[in-house]
Amino acid sequence: MADPQQRRSAGDAKAGETSSVSVTGLSKSYGGAGSLRALDDFTLEFGAGQCTVLLGPSGCGKTTVLRSIAGLITPDSGRIAIGGTAVFDAAFGTCDPPEKRRLGMVFQSYALWPHLSVADNVGYPLAASGMPKAEIRPLVESMLEWVSLGGMGGRYVHELSGGQQQRVSLARAVVGNPRAILFDEPLSNLDARLRERMRLELLGLRQRRPFTSIYVTHDQLEAMTLGDRVVVMRAGKIEQVGSPEDVYKRPRTRFAADFMGIPNLIEGRLRATGPDGFVVDTVLGPLRARGWRTGRTVGESCTVALRPTLLACSPDIGAGAPLGRVIRSVFQGTSTIHMIDVAGTTITIESFSEERHGDGMTVRVTPAEGAVFALLDD
Amino acid sequence: MSMVRPAEAKGRPFRISLGLDHAAFAMIAVATAIMVSYPAVLVLLRSISTEDIGSPLTLDWIRALVDSRRSREALVNTAIYTAGSSALAMTLGVGLSFLSTRTDMPGARLLGLLAILPILVPPFIMVVGWVALADPNAGLINIAASMLFGGRTVLVDINTMSGLIWMTGLFLSPYVYLLVAAGFRNCDPAMEEAARVAGASRIGLLRTVILPLQRPALLAALLLVVVMSAGDFVIPSTVGLKARIYMLPSLIWQNSSTFPPQPGLAAAQSMLLVVIGLVCIFFQRRALQRGGRYTLLGGKGAGLTTFPLGRLRYPLAGLAFVFALCSSLLPILSVSAMAFMRFWAPYAMNLENLTLRNFRYVLFEYPQVWPSAQNSLFLAVLGATLCVLLAIVLGWYIVRMRGRFAGLVEYAMVVPLGVPGIALGVGILSLWILVPGGIYGTLWILLLAYITAHIPVALQFVGSALHRVHTDLEDASRISGRTLVGTLRRINLPLMRPALIGSWLLIYVVILREVSLVILLYNPSTIVLPVGLMDIWGSGFYPELAVYSLLLLVLGLVPVLLFGRFARFTAD
Repeated sequence: MADPQQRRSAGDAKAGETSSVSVTGLSKSYGGAGSLRALDDFTLEFGAGQCTVLLGPSGCGKTTVLRSIAGLITPDSGRIAIGGTAVFDAAFGTCDPPEKRRLGMVFQSYALWPHLSVADNVGYPLAASGMPKAEIRPLVESMLEWVSLGGMGGRYVHELSGGQQQRVSLARAVVGNPRAILFDEPLSNLDARLRERMRLELLGLRQRRPFTSIYVTHDQLEAMTLGDRVVVMRAGKIEQVGSPEDVYKRPRTRFAADFMGIPNLIEGRLRATGPDGFVVDTVLGPLRARGWRTGRTVGESCTVALRPTLLACSPDIGAGAPLGRVIRSVFQGTSTIHMIDVAGTTITIESFSEERHGDGMTVRVTPAEGAVFALLDD
Repeated sequence: MSMVRPAEAKGRPFRISLGLDHAAFAMIAVATAIMVSYPAVLVLLRSISTEDIGSPLTLDWIRALVDSRRSREALVNTAIYTAGSSALAMTLGVGLSFLSTRTDMPGARLLGLLAILPILVPPFIMVVGWVALADPNAGLINIAASMLFGGRTVLVDINTMSGLIWMTGLFLSPYVYLLVAAGFRNCDPAMEEAARVAGASRIGLLRTVILPLQRPALLAALLLVVVMSAGDFVIPSTVGLKARIYMLPSLIWQNSSTFPPQPGLAAAQSMLLVVIGLVCIFFQRRALQRGGRYTLLGGKGAGLTTFPLGRLRYPLAGLAFVFALCSSLLPILSVSAMAFMRFWAPYAMNLENLTLRNFRYVLFEYPQVWPSAQNSLFLAVLGATLCVLLAIVLGWYIVRMRGRFAGLVEYAMVVPLGVPGIALGVGILSLWILVPGGIYGTLWILLLAYITAHIPVALQFVGSALHRVHTDLEDASRISGRTLVGTLRRINLPLMRPALIGSWLLIYVVILREVSLVILLYNPSTIVLPVGLMDIWGSGFYPELAVYSLLLLVLGLVPVLLFGRFARFTAD
């Protein structure tokens, strides 16, 4: 039996390598006279075999990037190359239709065809490439096994659960050995527990078989666990690119910090600049911080992002540290969340001890030993 | 593959030029828009031209229209007829739909089926059937009454305005039913529960929630039956003319076909119908669009408040079934009875008069029947197929491509809905009579007329089916390597199949029985079945008429019975 990893769909010359995707200067406007700029001079290289996550709120342009790469929408200008060959180039009038781009795509709605069996759904890209039926069948079966749906090929889509449908959708996207796989918020239709499981499963599948993935989501948890690289987008532009850890620990802007789920964005005043960062005066006293932008002047007002795990609060330790009043402490399983009012600013602190404080209690708030916080641009 | 030109001016956003397939779709869409809208324009033009289109303009025909006593009489009659039959159709349609969807009436499902059955019954069956039942001399009801009460008792007379209204009201009631029943059934149970929890009684719920939500559907249904009855042809031109009740459509026919023909006056009268029809249909569309605000999703009928009828349960059910039967089974049965009678007269109602002769004569000896049946079948099959195919192209262009002319095409599609068949015929005629060596006098002009009239219906079906197909399903197919056409074939057609079959069957049935469209366009070599029926009506041989109309019914029903279970008959 042919192994899908070794094969390419019929008609393709070389055996399956996944390709890089490079997007240059992509712009797209909607509405009369280009009134709504969905994408503004977007440039990014999606590395071969890597998973790049486009993260942002709805309307930030992430789906426009994905659908432009797929060929489902035609950008106004720019260039898209897959594996070094241009599939879209506004300057030369190149625009391959989606069926010529040899990509796979997983949709939020699953987009499985209700009139076809599971096997026919998965085998569809192979059939479209003209592969004979006898060759399709074993390939489809091994794909189904890969997504742990072995033997379910004869069923119809409505007989499967949401998670199973999503796996069929994944198998269909992968079966033709596409040059890259596009994920359009694939997990957001699933309930929280299933989403968690599918996220880990997707990670496992990618470990066994790396493919170039471009993954669109508005869920920062998905972005951090799945992405080799996270691209935070805002209003059609890239806000920040980096490894998940990088973006989480060193958000460049207020927007990125907010979107990465950092609750404490605290106003402060720059007290000193040094070779390895700044010192910022805040309600929690002077804090060490590092930022991306240079050329700051002492005395200017600024914002720092305080990750909740880098803070601690306690009624007895930390003599001299600022005092706060406990608004509430919430136990949430693996950790405890404390909301503390410090001089009118609400600070969220996450601790991994199960100790809770009574409402209205006075505590001292201290940063963790050696903590360096992110100094944000606006 | 779509091609783009390099940007000429730097920084100026440029448009990707439209692809080839896009251009082809746009061309077909615009051509169809012209095809459906020119007849209405030409009717207006013809009514102010001395001779054929292109001759000097004149107001003589309009003046003649105003001066002619008969035209005024016809306008008044048409108004009474329209008001009466619309009122009856609305009462029946709304009543039956409410009873069958929202009450605990026994046999509700069967009633729902019976209520829409008349759509499949040609109006000729209604006419011949009700003549057989309610003719003052030989109608079964009157014969029965005479036997009961002695002497000659005329209980009901079909040859009156109320008789005409009765038949038309019955005939139009299923259209109201279809528009309204869907609304009753698709109510959101949560809205009703909310009203009940807020303290509304069942009747209060009906008054404050259910009926107000149906207002756009009710208005749309009303305007539809007004247009349909004002432009109705068969009933005014058969029983109506016999009873000397002149109406605009029958007058147009007479002015065009009897000697001396007065095409200018006919066009002026058509113009009147066109204006009435277009105004009504404009407001109908608006009502339906407003209805969009009321579009309710997720209504599966479960959890909807059921209205208990209490003691009225059985009497109301009886009444509902009587009306439902009056509009379909009863006429069919009386036509069938008539078909077996040697001749049709009150004293002939006995067993010795039973015969198969009429069948032998009509089916094997009457020279017109097979050529006209052949023409009809050819036109109905080809017409329905072309309508559906064109509708797929138009639907794709409007719904998916959202092409530049999409709005224009959608507007144009309203025209055939508002322009009665006879007026459409006048418009088509006044163009093609001018084209030497054109399609005038051939089957093709009939085909053109059928397609013109029925493409909007097909488009409604295809459009709503297309809206049901999630675009992701198409996108997934494109990304999987299928071209646009391949995707249409492998994904859209199978998913839309029930709606496509449904619209095909509906158009097939309607073309088969359509008279008013083609009554001015046919010639002896292109005669079609229902026109042949008009001929026999003129000759007055009722038993043969009965056989002939049964043939029409059967030819229409065969494909429906064969393929109906694969079809979806609603476009919402």
